[in-house]
Amino acid sequence: MRASLFITCYNDTLYPETGRAVVRLLERLGVELDFHPRQTCCGQMHANTGFRGEAFSQAKRFVRLYQDAETVVIPSSSCVAMIRDQYPMLFAEMGNETLRNQFAALLPRVCELSEFLIDRLGVEDVGAYFPHRVTYHASCHGLRALQLGDRPWRLMAKVRGLEQVPLQNLDRCCGFGGTFSVKNAEVSSAMLAVKLQDVIATGAEYCTALDNSCLMHLGGAMHRQYAGMKTIHLAQILASTEASPAEATL
Amino acid sequence: MNLAAAGHPVLDPTLAPPFPQAALPVLRNPQLRKNVAHAIDVIQAKRAKLVAEKADWQELRSAASAIRDHALENLGYYLEQFEARCTAAGGVVHWATDAAEARAIILELLRQENASEVIKIKTMTSAEIQLNPFLEAAGISAYETDLAEIILQLGDEEPSHIVVPALHINRSQVREIFARRMGLKDLSDDPQALTNAARTWLRQKFLTIPTAISGANFLIAETGSVVVVESEGNGRMCLTLPRAMITLAGIEKVLPRFQDLEVMLQLLARSATGERMNPYTSLWTGVTPGDGPERFHVVLLDNGRSSILASSRERQTLKCIRCAACMNTCPVYRQTGGHAYGSVYPGPIGAILTPQLMRMQHAQSLPYASSLCGACYEVCPVKINIPEVLLDLRALVTDQERGQFRRFLDPMYLGLRIANLIFSRAWLFHAAQFFGRIGLRFFTRKDGWIHSLPSLGAKWTQTRDLRGLPSQTFHGWWAARGSKPMKEAK
Amino acid sequence: MNTPPPSRQRIFARIRAATQLAAETRSSVKGTSSVGQGFSPDNKPAQSMGAGRGGFQPTHLSPEVISSESLPRTYIRHGQLSPAARISLMIERLREYDAEVVECSPEELPNTIAAQLAASGKHKFVAPPGTPAAWMVTAAWQIQGLEWNIDHGLTTAEIEQAEGVVTAAFCGVADSGTIVLHHSPAEGRRVLTLLPDWHLCILRASQIVETLPEYFHRCPQPPALATWISGPSATADIEMTRIKGVHGPRFLHVILVRDE
Repeated sequence: MRASLFITCYNDTLYPETGRAVVRLLERLGVELDFHPRQTCCGQMHANTGFRGEAFSQAKRFVRLYQDAETVVIPSSSCVAMIRDQYPMLFAEMGNETLRNQFAALLPRVCELSEFLIDRLGVEDVGAYFPHRVTYHASCHGLRALQLGDRPWRLMAKVRGLEQVPLQNLDRCCGFGGTFSVKNAEVSSAMLAVKLQDVIATGAEYCTALDNSCLMHLGGAMHRQYAGMKTIHLAQILASTEASPAEATL
Repeated sequence: MNLAAAGHPVLDPTLAPPFPQAALPVLRNPQLRKNVAHAIDVIQAKRAKLVAEKADWQELRSAASAIRDHALENLGYYLEQFEARCTAAGGVVHWATDAAEARAIILELLRQENASEVIKIKTMTSAEIQLNPFLEAAGISAYETDLAEIILQLGDEEPSHIVVPALHINRSQVREIFARRMGLKDLSDDPQALTNAARTWLRQKFLTIPTAISGANFLIAETGSVVVVESEGNGRMCLTLPRAMITLAGIEKVLPRFQDLEVMLQLLARSATGERMNPYTSLWTGVTPGDGPERFHVVLLDNGRSSILASSRERQTLKCIRCAACMNTCPVYRQTGGHAYGSVYPGPIGAILTPQLMRMQHAQSLPYASSLCGACYEVCPVKINIPEVLLDLRALVTDQERGQFRRFLDPMYLGLRIANLIFSRAWLFHAAQFFGRIGLRFFTRKDGWIHSLPSLGAKWTQTRDLRGLPSQTFHGWWAARGSKPMKEAK
Repeated sequence: MNTPPPSRQRIFARIRAATQLAAETRSSVKGTSSVGQGFSPDNKPAQSMGAGRGGFQPTHLSPEVISSESLPRTYIRHGQLSPAARISLMIERLREYDAEVVECSPEELPNTIAAQLAASGKHKFVAPPGTPAAWMVTAAWQIQGLEWNIDHGLTTAEIEQAEGVVTAAFCGVADSGTIVLHHSPAEGRRVLTLLPDWHLCILRASQIVETLPEYFHRCPQPPALATWISGPSATADIEMTRIKGVHGPRFLHVILVRDE
């Protein structure tokens, strides 16, 4: 099984350890992974703020870059949602026939990480070991846009040593929302405060998710408040073994 | 407690401050946030239970969406049919292109009735056209008769929700308002006692004021009928007792057929108040001699709706049946309540409807008052894809900014333009990462975290730390390891 | 001959242009400009094509009006419950709304009405002009001081004096416990079931359907007047506390006549 890793602009810059974990995990599962060195961004930040022309230029670039990829794996639900939900509109409105065809051919080959593991590789037990109490935060894109369903829980259930603690009000947005966290910083922080109450109440050691964007927001507040809990991307949990435990990034 | 201390909430989109600013006094008001959260939790729990028990809920949503889409696609036809049937049944149909015209028509009708007072059933459309202050200025007292609306009117407050407008006001606040304005010194704050006080206060008005104004939940084209959905009975009072009745309705309220109500009524009460059916729904057609008003007028209002109709994707905004399920589920609304939206239409629907009614000349901050979580779309009974419309409106607002000089002073605009350039070439991206890392070192503390940033970054660091940029990017790590797969340590 | 007012013409012209424009942009979408089409100045109205439909002559018909009758309707349109279960459900829902429900056979109806009126402790009642005499006579015999005021054109003030009202109904919808009045002579003018504080409604089992679509199916034609009642009036405007009886009858009693 071959796959091309799209790390995402913010993971590349801020959370390289998530990328390293994805590589360790997938290679352990026998995936022949490659990484296109010219990748940058999917355009979500621009699309969501109203800069459509700019988003489209990044979308075009993405599609051209991955034309020949067998599968593109992305450890970020929001980026996959951008490609599935907004790229069609962008290519329909601003692209030409060739580009639309290229995009249409690529779309079925784009996969979020948990989708790749469960749907493409057909595995739930990835041989992970992570002996900690963990609560899972369902990011809105993963929950509603991608309809990931129970995939994250099925993966976590097979992680040895992991004790899963359910999060109350699971479907309530954490308040990150991309540029919303800055354009409406106060409202974003109010939503964050409410969400953090539920997260801290779980008494877990780690809060995990399939999106580092939400975790940056939640984890940033936890760190500010000396909250006694850390965030960690699910990929790092899944990559963790007894011999190579997850890098606790905080 | 009203918000006068922090500036009385302004529900006029031409005057209201931008959403981030308008939200601030609300965010600092724990009582208000608690009231809002409590109210929407109650409705949401009831709604969830009823939706779970309704086996054909999704089918009903699909049918409602199709009916509303069809009605809007053929709006001219159905409006014409409604007008013909309503007129044949003894009603008089008037057309108002905008708010000013609607106000003028209504005032003229009231003058014809020699009305110095009028009783009103809650209608947001009348708030949209700012009818009450206009009538007051013309010497006509307009009495609201919905309990929440009385609370607001007597307390000089603004609505914060379209179904439960006074949800931001608790019982002791209501007691204070009623005691003061109704002259009831010994009134308790028990909700039953408060409701009884309102019942008595209104009874005389219902029995003596001969002119009423209503809105409409639905206009039935097939029959020329009007449908009003309510809980308290004040609607029935206003529809039956007066001699003259004026119904103000947006042109988008049309349903093709009487039978379409079998879908809409199953969805509306469950979505709006978490009941299988609201206590009273009234339908009437024109004038029925001996039963109800002798004179009946319908004022059909455009006021920007026809321009929304023109956009094939934005048109879905007009499908709204004003159930407020979207704002009950919205995590943003939960924290800010309705006043922050600066419009009679708050919440997710307000964020798309208000700017469009303003033809994108005002309320441009509202499409950004959302984290795009998508919860609203999940609950909307007519399947309005609110996130999709929000994104379209953001694109419109951004395009407006592109043509303005002030964009050079907007750090977000500049930042995103630069980011786009950076993302266009890998080497630019990598260079930006390199220099960014160096630049941010200045702000990075010994523990490797950033505690405060300037400019836009300050908005982040107000409440969150940011981990300092790692010394090696992922792509740098990948390049360094060559093509050797990672070896599992033994 | 009245010329149509200019506002009416302007609105219809805008709608016509809007529908035309939306249809065009659907087929050839380009750039971001399509998004803003709705906010440009009015375009010239397109030619309209008429096609009469049953009595009225539309001039604003768009060429491809698809009848709304052909829209897909996959929701539940028929109930599944047996008649007995349907009645039980109706009673259950009514009681959830704190309506008092008693059952009786058709023969027992006059006595049951009398019993309900007696139990109310009230004496002044109004009734619609189409009320069967049998309903009123038995009660008048049994209750001393009982006053029936039949609505042959009562004034509002007279109705306001009444303590209670007795009416028939058109239909009951079990799913939501809804009683439907079409305001026939046996159901009364709308004001009759609005002002008195106490309403006794006679609902026959044969009038009860399970689902709302079945009620609509039952209507021979759409009613000119209708009131759907699902419990006494209520408000939750004060701290979401449900309070019964704001306006309209605070007490709803139903006699369910087992006529099947």
